[in-house]
Amino acid sequence: MRDTLVFATVLLPFFAAVLAFLARGAAPRKLIMVATSLVLITASACLLTQGPFTLGASPIFEALVTVGDFALLGIIVFFGVRLKNQLVVWLSLGQIAGLAFLDFFLADHAATAPAFYVDDLSLVMVAIISMIGSLIGVYALGYMKGHEEHLHLEKSRQPRFFFFIILFLGAMNGLVLADSLSWMYFFWEITTLCSFVLIGHDGTDIARKNAERALWMNVVGGAAFVLGLILLQKGAQTLSLQALLAIAPEISAGGLLVVPLFLLIFAGFTKAAQAPFQSWLTGAMVAPTPVSALLHSSTMVKAGVYLIVRLAPLFVGTYLSALVALFGAFCFLAMAAMAVGQSNGKKILAYSTISNLALIIACAGINTPASITAAVLLIIFHAVSKALLFMCVGSIEQRIGSRDIEDMRGLSRVMPRTAVLTAIGIMTMMLPPFGMLLAKWMAIESASAQFLVVAMLAMGSALTVLFWARWAGMLFSAPFGRGTPEEQPPSVRLPLTILAGASVILSLGAPFLYNRLVAPMVAMYYAAPGYAVSTGGMENVSGVFWIYPLFLILGIGFIVALRAAGRINPADVAAPYMCGAQRDVNGHPGFTGPMNQPVAATPGNAYLPRIFGEEMLGRYANVAALALVALMLGGVLW
Amino acid sequence: MVGKLVLALLAVALTPLVGGLLAGVDRRLTAWLQSRYGPPVLQPFYDVLKLLGKTKMVVNPWQALSASVYLAAAVTSVFIFFMQGDLLLIFFVLTIGAVFLVVGALSAPSPYSQIGGQRELWQMLAYEPLLILVFVSMAMVTGSFRITAILEHPTPLLYDLPLMFIVLGYVLTIKLRKSPFDISASQHAHQEIVRGVLTEYSGPHLALLEIAHWFEVVLVLGICSLFFATSALGVVVLLAATYFLEILIDNVMARMTWRWMLRSVLTVGLVLSLVNILWLYVA
Repeated sequence: MRDTLVFATVLLPFFAAVLAFLARGAAPRKLIMVATSLVLITASACLLTQGPFTLGASPIFEALVTVGDFALLGIIVFFGVRLKNQLVVWLSLGQIAGLAFLDFFLADHAATAPAFYVDDLSLVMVAIISMIGSLIGVYALGYMKGHEEHLHLEKSRQPRFFFFIILFLGAMNGLVLADSLSWMYFFWEITTLCSFVLIGHDGTDIARKNAERALWMNVVGGAAFVLGLILLQKGAQTLSLQALLAIAPEISAGGLLVVPLFLLIFAGFTKAAQAPFQSWLTGAMVAPTPVSALLHSSTMVKAGVYLIVRLAPLFVGTYLSALVALFGAFCFLAMAAMAVGQSNGKKILAYSTISNLALIIACAGINTPASITAAVLLIIFHAVSKALLFMCVGSIEQRIGSRDIEDMRGLSRVMPRTAVLTAIGIMTMMLPPFGMLLAKWMAIESASAQFLVVAMLAMGSALTVLFWARWAGMLFSAPFGRGTPEEQPPSVRLPLTILAGASVILSLGAPFLYNRLVAPMVAMYYAAPGYAVSTGGMENVSGVFWIYPLFLILGIGFIVALRAAGRINPADVAAPYMCGAQRDVNGHPGFTGPMNQPVAATPGNAYLPRIFGEEMLGRYANVAALALVALMLGGVLW
Repeated sequence: MVGKLVLALLAVALTPLVGGLLAGVDRRLTAWLQSRYGPPVLQPFYDVLKLLGKTKMVVNPWQALSASVYLAAAVTSVFIFFMQGDLLLIFFVLTIGAVFLVVGALSAPSPYSQIGGQRELWQMLAYEPLLILVFVSMAMVTGSFRITAILEHPTPLLYDLPLMFIVLGYVLTIKLRKSPFDISASQHAHQEIVRGVLTEYSGPHLALLEIAHWFEVVLVLGICSLFFATSALGVVVLLAATYFLEILIDNVMARMTWRWMLRSVLTVGLVLSLVNILWLYVA
């Protein structure tokens, strides 16, 4: 049973990807994508019921992974040569040499560790990747059709596109289930390659440029990963996660292995696009929306934080841990500030993603049972809400031809359904009683002993509220009038609706999620539980969050409010105050100006580019982030 | 538990009365400072009752939703306070109200409410981090964010956190919409952005916002009272002094710009917090 499920989530997508590549025509492709989605969703749901286990694989796979490693790096070197990018070429060659050294000189092939080590953290990740990833894949069916019609392509590029999308899902599942870090590295490299190809999918100059940037940044991370593996093998004589986590208390108490741990964490930073590497993720927006949704919400970037959260028990209470918390808090603040200065919807989403990933990293660095709980909950809730928001923005862009939030003013009249779904996504990102806020509450309470960290979290939270609230308000900024019902293909409508429902329902089920998935995982690696579930919420010594009472009171309040809004009589609608003679200017509210000319009232947001602009702030953020990384390195080498 | 619940519900029921009276006293004191006679103390109630009797006019139906949610959030936060719940949770619930107020204002395509909404957001950016830091500092002293734990603390928090009380004073000034921070919605409708964030709310919806505002004022004063929770007399003296100082500041200050507010409030607030918390570690 278990081997079947692992096969279905990891290996099957590899075959399905090849099929999707060979399939010609839309119908078979649709069939393959939907079938793969169904299998992945079912298999991951069944896995959730299994609980932790380990699973061996035949030695042939060991050999396949080794060969695959070199093949992948060979492909990356090839791309590096074709792009004439020295950095990619030399770093990849270095990785080949390092891997050869590791595989043929260091590794102890006699010691057999199980191939797959599955605990609740892995299961949570598999569920997120398989369920949300599949939904994004289904959404891509409808989206790519419109996308390619818009581009007027001679020959469809969809086979290649879906090949990589499905491959991506399999690789990500492999990454989170693997026990050996060298296996994890193999899947890690596949995601690097997939993202490179997918970002460059449209083949425009900017797409090529951004794809190359993503490649070299991830290759830097990959090189750190290999070096970390070599040092880990030398220091601990094993690359098995299970073996390492079993002796976690000794490792963390003795402050051992901090250098390889630092290198692996650094690799996690690059994958999670933390400063100074944020530009590859913000550049990834040039790809079609499903790619951004997949990269930003459920897969690629989550791999980075997964690795850091996974290794967290190994550096509890060390200097490294404190600095990881500081680094995470700083990036959380800096990226939230960058998002404030943006009017490009996708960029706001990208910066908000990096900001939330940084929060997860900060939680891993705080490294108490409560903060690890917060980290896992953040991973879950962020994936749902962010996937929803990305797909909404994609649909909006296809309809109104812009991703600028200034152009989304009054969207509720053009796309009433999508506007409401977007608002749900935004509200679940920033307001209680939803899961994101529950996790943020845990994060701030567990950080309360570290002033610098908590001050940055406080500032970052306030900035987050600012850019979300602004956007939500603009969506409904329209004079009164019935909206036109909108047309959407079912493959787009269904995933959006499911995700919007899930973002609310999962928040309701937060205590249940915690009891079933998070608490057992925390119990495996930490002495005390983070929280107790009681009185309709979560509580520990430092605080109590009443989930159900809040849902009840606010839910009733919201329903009453909705009814109040619904009972508004169209006869009681006033025109907005204009401090003068009001008149309608091409459907926009306005007033009669000088010389009796009509003037449209056109408000705009303050983005304060001189404070929050990418250019200015990005430079400072990168310098500060590099300084923190240097501090980390200095500390571990000391 | 049941006793607590009944008390909390009673307190929530009394809150609008206390809040309205406070607003009336506030107006009388302000009048006295300006050598005017001023309205009767019950004037805020008359105003709200009159507004409630009017026709519900809106520019956009979302405003009706926003006004009600704003009130719901304010009531909920006061309820959590009297249930002696979690300070940080109260803060998050307050945020709901503030966000919906802004969303409602932004949903009306009027330049005044749009600019007011933007300014309200900058105001939130100024006070939110400070309020979180005030709560964090209280948790540092008492070891918990729960109000129950804070009430059990043997000495007044004011002795440990004098500077944090000043930071809370900043938050209170912004929340009360007093000068120099009455930037997003001024008391007087003859300012450059009319009534800013409140411009497009009218009639019963404006009444809901007014009542919600009373709730919020009572809540922030309640948080101030936690700084001297060991004696009832201490609470009364502290709150009276604080509120009178607020009115005084309101009357001797001009309205300032939001850029000045962001810069000065955040700098002063963060520095005061840092100094106070360092002092906690040292002392």
